[in-house]
Amino acid sequence: MEPTTASEVYLPFRKGLPPLRGYWRTLWKRRAFIAEYSRSELREQHYDSVFGQIWLILNPLLLSAVYFILIVIIGGHSDKLRYGHLTACLFLFYLVSNSLSAGVKSVTAGQRLILNTAFPRIMLPISATVVAIFRFLPTLVIFAILRSILGLPISFQIFWAIPIVIITVLFALGLAISISCINVYFRDIANFLPYFTRTLLYLSPILWEASDIKPQLRTVELFNPVFSILDSWSRVVVHAQAPQLSSMLISLAWAISIFFIGTYFFLSREREFAVRV
Amino acid sequence: MSNSLHTSGDIAVSVQHLGLTYTTTIDRRPTLKSRVKTLGRGTKHTRTVRALDDVMLDVNYGSVLGVVGANGAGKSSLMRVISGILPPTQGRVEVFGKVSTLLALGVGFSPSLSGRANVHLGGLAAGMTRDEIADHFDEIADFADLGEAIDAPMRTYSSGMYARLAFSVAVTVRPDILIVDEALSTGDAKFKEKSLEKIKELRSDARALILVSHALGTIRDICNEVAWLDKGRLVQRGNPTDVVDAYSQFLQVGKSAAIDEDI
Repeated sequence: MEPTTASEVYLPFRKGLPPLRGYWRTLWKRRAFIAEYSRSELREQHYDSVFGQIWLILNPLLLSAVYFILIVIIGGHSDKLRYGHLTACLFLFYLVSNSLSAGVKSVTAGQRLILNTAFPRIMLPISATVVAIFRFLPTLVIFAILRSILGLPISFQIFWAIPIVIITVLFALGLAISISCINVYFRDIANFLPYFTRTLLYLSPILWEASDIKPQLRTVELFNPVFSILDSWSRVVVHAQAPQLSSMLISLAWAISIFFIGTYFFLSREREFAVRV
Repeated sequence: MSNSLHTSGDIAVSVQHLGLTYTTTIDRRPTLKSRVKTLGRGTKHTRTVRALDDVMLDVNYGSVLGVVGANGAGKSSLMRVISGILPPTQGRVEVFGKVSTLLALGVGFSPSLSGRANVHLGGLAAGMTRDEIADHFDEIADFADLGEAIDAPMRTYSSGMYARLAFSVAVTVRPDILIVDEALSTGDAKFKEKSLEKIKELRSDARALILVSHALGTIRDICNEVAWLDKGRLVQRGNPTDVVDAYSQFLQVGKSAAIDEDI
């Protein structure tokens, strides 16, 4: 035993996870960093100014208008339900895709901090997801206004939106954590990302509805992690119906798996980030 | 941050049989593309670095330890292990008190944010509370003497301004154990003098200081003890004059003006 107690003892690590309880405690102690960092990022992107906020709202609206025109031209349904579906799903999809695009470089951009400060590295992708959440929230308000203008049905089933958003956030966080870790080892992942998200966008029931899909293509459902989330989301916020239990469970399973697998890799790798960035 | 509760002579850092080996990439920017392109050719993408090897060292409160050594000797690696940034591969490191965690050099990690925001973020990442940072902020800004530039994005800073801010953070947050790395020393002559004074002031304050520097004059001037590292091993340790002389001999430059000045 030591004569006096050291405030920190550093011993060789074995492979695998760090002691989780201690990790969580240091992470919780630094929650102010996550809040402050995401706020600074948002300010940096000018979301604290009037025009910045207008842009934040205008951008997804323009996007949904463009896609709606596309649908009309291609000759799909073009009623108000379809427009509501498109907008709602696009907004939720952007929560996931913004979390990915902000998360991918979160660790490598924090190089200077990683080299010189001891802190739980997972704070960096978490901050990226927090930024994505703050960009998502105003679009929810826009959609609420839009759906009352369109006169979409309303019922208590709409409260299912809350668990769906929570599942989506968990999923988005898991993706941000995973991709930020992968990007430390393969720096060009960020370049592939737009292709990946674009493909995911087209393979998801956003520009089309889940019920439109040809039976031959139903396997897409199984391999697309956002399929069930978006299907449930559309049922709840556009049609004001209860989601299918199976869809909710599949979404939850995807979110939990991605979150835990990503976190496991991140935590077991993060101790060497300082020599890799 | 806590004012030092330690008395001079108490042990601050104890490094026992420390070894550090790590794997790093050969490419500056490892990519999937280069991996795929060289698939099956047996090209090596990583190399193993033996940064520290059986290093024994301790630092007491109220003393200043100078660390000298050529580039790549393992000085920065040693500081990172003491700060808890890199886990050791062998041995044991005990730290009795709060380390500055080189926090200062983390300042500026987000170049698009202002110096003020960076100081706040760096402090929060190092585990300080908002109040602690707010308490110290004026002193930091004052010491760094950046004027209005403190609110300009850090990408607009010159390397001297950057170093001034980093140094100010390091010395102002009053950690029990302060590590001053050579990278902190690119200020102008006036600032250099000011920072030397500050270090001397801290020395008389029963804190433990570790000063990593190539400026042998400064090392001889303010350290109580000097450790010389070479290729990850501790070559010599002891009285500043002896160690610095031996190191100068080793460098075969003798005593010249070029290595005497600077921090």
